[in-house]
Parts: sequence; C-alpha cells; structure tokens
Amino acid sequence: MSAVVAEFRRNRLSLSYVIVVALLILLVAAGGFLSDRFLTWRNFGNLFQQLVVLGMVSLGQTFVVLLGGIDLAVGSLVGASTVFIAHFLEWRPDLLWLALPLALIAATAIGALNGLLTIVLRVHPLIVTLGMSSIIFGATLMYDKEPGGSVPRGLADFSYANLWGIPVTAIVLVAIFALAGLWLQRSRSGRSIYFVGGDREAARLNGLPVNRIVVMAYALSGLCAGLAAIFLTARTGVGDPRIGTALTLQSITPVVVGGTILAGGRGGVLGTLLGVLLVTMLNNLLNFLNVSSYYQWVIQGLIIIVAVSIHTTRRRQ
Amino acid sequence: MAPLETPLPRSRGVSVASIFERYGLIVFLVALLLVAAVLSPTFLRPANLVNVLTIAAPLGMVVVGQIFVILVRGLDLSVASLMATVAVLATAFKATTNDAIPMIFAAAIAFSAVVGLVNGWLVAKRDVSPFLATLAMMIILQGVRFAYTGGAPISTLPPGMGFLASGRILGIPVNLITLALLAIVFGIVLHRSRLGREIFMVGSNPKAAFLNGVAPDRVIILCHVICSVCAGIGGLFLLGYVGTVSNWVGQGYELDSIVAAVMGGVALTGGRGNIFVALLGVAVLVVINNLVLLLGFPIEMQLIIKGIIIIGAAAFYRTRLA
Repeated sequence: MSAVVAEFRRNRLSLSYVIVVALLILLVAAGGFLSDRFLTWRNFGNLFQQLVVLGMVSLGQTFVVLLGGIDLAVGSLVGASTVFIAHFLEWRPDLLWLALPLALIAATAIGALNGLLTIVLRVHPLIVTLGMSSIIFGATLMYDKEPGGSVPRGLADFSYANLWGIPVTAIVLVAIFALAGLWLQRSRSGRSIYFVGGDREAARLNGLPVNRIVVMAYALSGLCAGLAAIFLTARTGVGDPRIGTALTLQSITPVVVGGTILAGGRGGVLGTLLGVLLVTMLNNLLNFLNVSSYYQWVIQGLIIIVAVSIHTTRRRQ
Repeated sequence: MAPLETPLPRSRGVSVASIFERYGLIVFLVALLLVAAVLSPTFLRPANLVNVLTIAAPLGMVVVGQIFVILVRGLDLSVASLMATVAVLATAFKATTNDAIPMIFAAAIAFSAVVGLVNGWLVAKRDVSPFLATLAMMIILQGVRFAYTGGAPISTLPPGMGFLASGRILGIPVNLITLALLAIVFGIVLHRSRLGREIFMVGSNPKAAFLNGVAPDRVIILCHVICSVCAGIGGLFLLGYVGTVSNWVGQGYELDSIVAAVMGGVALTGGRGNIFVALLGVAVLVVINNLVLLLGFPIEMQLIIKGIIIIGAAAFYRTRLA
C-alpha cells in the first residue's frame, strides 16, 4: 500500500487516477442499475478471468512506454509463444516444468532483442518492433497456420482454479502488478526507467547505464508477453498464431488511459491496472446491455482520445 | 509520437548524401528486377511489369498522402480503415449505373477530408500524439463501418468502378495515370510551393517555423487532410481492383504505406523526404513481394522479408546520413 502512496506522490498523477477511479465507480453503479446480473460475484469472477491476458500484456507495454518507446511486437510474440507452448506440451505433456520456463526465456530474449536493435541500429522503436512483429508472425505462420497443439490437464485446471471465489490467475496478476509497482518505485533499476524515459541524455550524463535499462524494459515486455501466453494457452488449450493480433493495439489503450504518457517518463503500473479494469469492465457491461461489439470499438476509440486529451490538458496547465 | 532522439534539423537542399540516397534505392530496385528477370523470363515483359505496377497503384496513392503526415513528424494508422470505410460508403448509394461514380468520388473525398480534419485537429490542437489519434480513428471507423454493414456488406457497385482498376487510356492503365497525376500535383505542392516549404520547416523544426511566421497547427491539419483524401481515393481504386466490398479492403496498407515511405527515404523524425523517391519505395516493396512468390517461397516469407527490410532500410538511412 505504501508503494501505491509513493507512486501517487512521486508522479503527481493523483488526479488522473482519481478520474479513472471515479469512472470505474460510475461504471459499477451504472452497471448495477442497468443490469441485475452485472453486480454479481459470478460476473466479477468472469471479469477478472477476462482481464488477465490484457493486463499482463499492458503491464509489459507500460515499462516500454515509460521509457518513451513502444512495443508493437507483443501481439505476435504472444501468438508465437502460445504456439510454442501448446506444441511442446502436445509432444511431451510431462515436461510442463520445462516448457513454461523455456517459453518465458525465449519471449524475454526476443523482447531484449527488440531493445538491443533500437540501440544498435538507432532506429525508432516503432519501426523496430513493427518489423520484428512481422518477422515473428511470418515465422510462426510458416511453422503452423492453424491453431494446434494441446495442454495437459493440470495447466487447464490452473486457469479455472478459484481461491476463495477469486480466480487464481487474477490473484497472480495482481501480485505481479504489485511486484512491478514496488520494483519501479523502490529499486534503483526500476526508478532508472523513469529517468531514462524523462530525459535520456540527462540520464546518460548522470552515469546511468542507459542502454542496459532500455534492453531490460523491452525484455520485461517480452517476459510479460510470455506470461500472457501461458495464461492464454492454459485457458484455450491450443496455440494459435493469430490470437495476439488484436492484443498489440489493445495493450496500449489501458496504458494511456491510466495516465502513462507516450513521450515517456511519467505514469505507472497502478494506472495501467486501473485502465485494464476500466476497459474490461466497460466491454463487460456493454455485452450485458447487448451493445454490439461494433459500437464497443467506437467507444474504445473515443476513450483513447478523451483520456489522452484529459492528460495532455492537465500537463499544459 | 515523440521521436526518441531528435536529430538536428537538416536542410532539404541537394547534398551528396541525398543523391546517394536516391540512386542507392534505384540501384537496389534494378538489382531486384535483374534477379527477378533471371528467375523468371516472363517477369520483365511489359505486360507483367504493368500488371505489377497496377497492383501497386492504390498503395502508391496512400503513400503519396502518408508522406505528408510523416514529414510533419506524424504517421497515420487510420488509412487502411479509411480505405475500407470509403469502400463501404461507395455501396451506400446502391448505384447500378455509372452516373453515380462522380457522386461516389465526391462523397468519398468529402468523407476522407473530414476524417483527416479530425485527425489533424486532435494532433495539432488537442496535443494527442499522432500514433494514438490515428489509432483511435482507425478503431472508430472500424466500429462505424461494421455497425453500418452489420458485418456483411452488400456489393452494389456501378459497373464502371472496375474500369478504375483494369481500364486503359491510350494503353496506359487508368490507375497508373491517376497515381502519376496525384504524385505530380502533390509533388509540386510539396517540393515547389510555399506550403511545401512550410511543411518541411514544421517537420524539421516546429519552433523555428513558428518564429518564421508559419502556423504549425494549420500545416499539420492540412497534411492530415491531404493524407486522408489520398487514402480515400486509393480506397476507391483498390475497391475497383478487388471488385467486391468487404469490411477489410486495404487491410495492412497502413503499415505497408509506412514501410514503403521509410524505404523511400522518408524520415520518421520528420522534415526529410521526397514523394517520388517514396514511390520508388513502393516499387521495391511490390517487387520484393512478387519475387518471394517467383522464388516459390511460401507467402508467409513475405512477412519475414518485409520485417527485415523495414528495420534494415531504417538503419541504412540512419547511418547513411549520420
């Protein structure tokens, strides 16, 4: 909790958070009013289940955006990781203990490669990760175009397990967010992400290992994509090369809604978690109200514009 | 979005580097063509070349617009979604005769201009990063389009729309003529007019431009309008080529147009680029795609090669001019 308070003070983002929290409360109230099934424990269980994957990918995206970069390869990476996990486990279901760490290591390495390329080639991260996304997607499709593979029973059970009525995956997600928040606020390496994102040259002049921090942030984004893939494979039971396609752009919405600015250096994971909650809960409520997913797209677009407008106006003042 | 490292503003005068940039790309293109010719004797036949160019024409139109936005340090992710939306709009008239074609064009251009105006307003007046503004526009257009069609668009098009793709005037494909016209008109605007000079000034140094009496906001909004209008026109021509309306006409063109522009030497940091060189980038991209098929590689290989090329090209221009 003190980490949360620290984040409030540190980034002076309290108003952004207050706005998002107010919107969340408004949403819950409206939901309870409009639908009698919305405010049920069962629905919240579903909701947490739904937000785990998006939450994980958005967390990774937050590290990179804090740095002033962007990771457009996460979607392809999630897809590739699910294909790897599901096919590996179909081949050797008994090697679960090996498959998951391998997937995480590979995803982290690819993330680190993204960061490394932006430094070595001095090319804008947008271009690097876009290119990498294309390469990863193409390579995955060459291996398998259709969803395939399978997962052992234990992994599938994990995705539907509950602890005191709360999905275990959601508890894991919140724990990871808490760890990430603590790390960003309390550790030297975590705080250096803010420095580098705020002013890269100043960070360099202050003797920070800027290149290492950049690679680390992208590696973390890769790691998060790998974790998201584990959640996803556990739930769907297959590896699908296309499953992450929409995730790339979806992962950016909660980050900017949560007040992390694309220019870098300001924001945090608490905002992202609130943003993920807001986006998922809104879609959940719209589903209850039988609003077609087409209008949900329109609303998602409007949310991005409104959120960013609010944050930039605040910055101007 | 803000570039990671803002380079010093560069003059747009002809320098050794920019000449190398130009001819380097031509050499690369010629080499590609030679490889293609060796691999497939039919490749260099005029008929095949015209065919390849015909496929490239709608992308070229999008690139002509995209370059304007990139020059003022932006990018437009909404072009592909706009192309599909314009295609759906074209069916809204339920026209069966060719009399409706001018109306379809007028409606498409007007609609695109409004989209560009909103994009530009968000970027220039509301300080929304171009990436997010056009991303939001892409999603919104997608939602509106699907809501209108209910997921399954009807395909009532005037028969003359096919002429846009396959028709010829004096033996030259109509879409190539249109692309050439667009490129020449906007090339003159960009490289010969006062507005063009202002665009380069805003792109290389907005503050200096402002101090020189240029209104960056106005220039940025205008660039977005030009970009969207070009994408809208490209959407109609692509629709003519595809023949049937789907909700995904033009899918992937947002990234392809950026890739082509970057390969054509347009700097994502703004203020540097040339329309005609950017169109060479389109040619390279299309020939590479064609080559992948000629070599008998699976089509997924295009994705891998495209990825390597976009990163490689961006790195190449960076080091060339560093």
